[in-house]
Amino acid sequence: MDPLALLRGLLDTTEDAARALVGRERIRLAVTGLSRAGKTVFLTSLVANLLAAGRGARTLPALSEAAGGRIRRVFIEPAGTETVPRFDPEAHLAALAADPPRWPERTEDFSTLSIAIDVERRTSLGGLLPERRVTLDLIDYPGEWLLDLPLLRQDFATWSAATLARLRAWPAAATTEFLAFLDALPAGAPAEDALAKRGHTLYRDMLRACRDTHGLRFLQPGRFLNPGPRGDAPLLWFFPLPAGARGGLADLCARRYAAYLDDQRATFLDPFFSRFHRQVVLVDVLGALHAGEAAFRDTAEALAAVAEVISGASWLERLLGAAPGRVAFAATKADHVPTRARDALAALLDHIALGARGRAEASGAVTTCHAVAAIRCTEDAVATLEGQALAAVRGLLLNGGQGATIYPGEVPMKPPEPAFWDAGFFRMPDFQPPRLDPAGGSGVPHLGLDALLAWLIGDAL
Amino acid sequence: MTAPAPQPRIILDEAATPPARLDFGWEKAVAAVAPPRGGWSGAALVAAGIAVLALGLAALDAGNFVAAQFARAAWLGWLTLVVALAGFGLIGAAIWREASGYVALSRVDRARAAAARGDAAALAAELQRWQSRLPPGRPRIEGLADMPPDAARALVEARLLAPLAEEAAGLGRAAAMQAFAVTAVSPSPGLDAVIFAWRGVRLVRQVAMLHGLRPGLAGTVALLRRIATDAAMVAATDIAVDAMVRAVLSSRLAEHVAGEAAAGAVAARRMILLARAADEACRILPRAVSR
Repeated sequence: MDPLALLRGLLDTTEDAARALVGRERIRLAVTGLSRAGKTVFLTSLVANLLAAGRGARTLPALSEAAGGRIRRVFIEPAGTETVPRFDPEAHLAALAADPPRWPERTEDFSTLSIAIDVERRTSLGGLLPERRVTLDLIDYPGEWLLDLPLLRQDFATWSAATLARLRAWPAAATTEFLAFLDALPAGAPAEDALAKRGHTLYRDMLRACRDTHGLRFLQPGRFLNPGPRGDAPLLWFFPLPAGARGGLADLCARRYAAYLDDQRATFLDPFFSRFHRQVVLVDVLGALHAGEAAFRDTAEALAAVAEVISGASWLERLLGAAPGRVAFAATKADHVPTRARDALAALLDHIALGARGRAEASGAVTTCHAVAAIRCTEDAVATLEGQALAAVRGLLLNGGQGATIYPGEVPMKPPEPAFWDAGFFRMPDFQPPRLDPAGGSGVPHLGLDALLAWLIGDAL
Repeated sequence: MTAPAPQPRIILDEAATPPARLDFGWEKAVAAVAPPRGGWSGAALVAAGIAVLALGLAALDAGNFVAAQFARAAWLGWLTLVVALAGFGLIGAAIWREASGYVALSRVDRARAAAARGDAAALAAELQRWQSRLPPGRPRIEGLADMPPDAARALVEARLLAPLAEEAAGLGRAAAMQAFAVTAVSPSPGLDAVIFAWRGVRLVRQVAMLHGLRPGLAGTVALLRRIATDAAMVAATDIAVDAMVRAVLSSRLAEHVAGEAAAGAVAARRMILLARAADEACRILPRAVSR
């Protein structure tokens, strides 16, 4: 830990203590998740349901119970002079409620929002004091960028070796062209921008294909897949090289790799990921299960790699409160399976996140696993297939609004046997959200969000 | 041997027209439960019974008396009737004033509830009624009903409520000066308390009048109860400052130096806080939470 970070940690810890003393706690809640895990929808639902709960609606019964029914008011903190864009739950909600509805677009940049919860004090004399105000700091960002965190602990050579070892196991259809380019590259290739750019383009296209067609998630660096508001830049023109590579091109790629990490650290990781108090890790378990064995394993590895950095705080960081005290793992899109399969979904997540949970617990955090649907889009149904009546879900398809009954397959409670993967790739269709109030006056229908929040922040209220 | 589970599958509906969007009846399922209405307490029933008996029997007695007077002489009967009607009329006017002062407070609650649930039409109507009751000479905002709710709230806050809060603070400062002076020169602590309570109640009524409320006795009692519960909403800094002033000025050292003026300063500080709490309790919209 460098001295500046130590000083900043000390100042932050002092501020936290002072805030707790005057009843103005601030909780930094890191909503982490790989791409397409549903972070934006989760945040939109969280904000809408919290605001509605502040108006007295029973949108989050478990959280209200955890807070002893003392939540008096919830509001979005007015904007100050921040340079970071503001997360816009109203716009997301309006798009979801529109006709035809739209799910949020892929997140291209980070945005933040602070939401304040006024709670009555617990003590009998609490009525004489002002209400406590707990502020939740939330952040939304492209999920792809999260996987830049493990890069911070790797140099270019280590990263190249690890990546090339991993991509040999990826589907050949996606990797052939890039691997052919690498094989054709001489070991002492000169520092030609044309070569660097060609390699970068092939590598980036391979990552895109792996993400979009094969459901893989452990794809680095994040900005290759989602360049953010600054778009493509020479900083990104690098790619992993084999261990034997020497010469100008290898030096150029290594320099750009280091510069890329510095940039990500300064603009994204240090400001937003250096310190938080609670963490929720969203995982699209069902998506990984349907995408096949490689995607399933890949998701588990990606989670473990991220958890190692986020939760693997040193004793000093833990002492300074820079490590999260509670980490909740949540299997999102739980409404895509019938009620009876949701426990299995949470149990399966427990297995996938085993490595990640172990690291979080080793750093002193308490962990748990949940199955949630930030916006519930389906209802339980029965499908008769091959003479068997099976529990299924029914919803309206996003494209065209046609009604459909979906049998999502068996959800195993632990990583499945090899025979399970013979089924092949299944892509869950996108559903229309249910009828929603565009103003969010009553929050949005969800599954299990209240239990998750009650566990995550209930003790702080 | 059990058959293997079928593969995941999508079974499309065969209906020609797409069905309506799913509706879980969420709004109704999560609707806030209204707190149970307390109804009349035993003491209130006894008080109401005594009032009915006192007024009713007095009215019957007066009626009998008027009839008896008519039996003696017509002019005497008429005169007694006029006296009785005037007397009961004045009592009725007082009761009406009390009741309307009390009801005015519940209008504040209605407007706040409309604002909280985002009911733009009800809020605009309540704001319109409220500004029509403001004392003459106050600015009025036209076209509130046509504005978006947030804009209407912001405008009412800036043009009407912010000046009212300043005037309430001014009244608080004036009351504080008086409380300070009186406490410093009064001969006994008991008298201090009486003067402080009287000045406090007067201050609360003055602030209420600024907001277009004209509380009578019942209205004032209800208002004082609200202030007691709403006092927690007065900014935390004020409470902190109050505690600090009290701590510094109540210390033995300060008592030696400042003497009775120390207690006076605490009383004065309380008046300023009371004015703020009264303003908080009377304002038609809750104070912008960011402050």
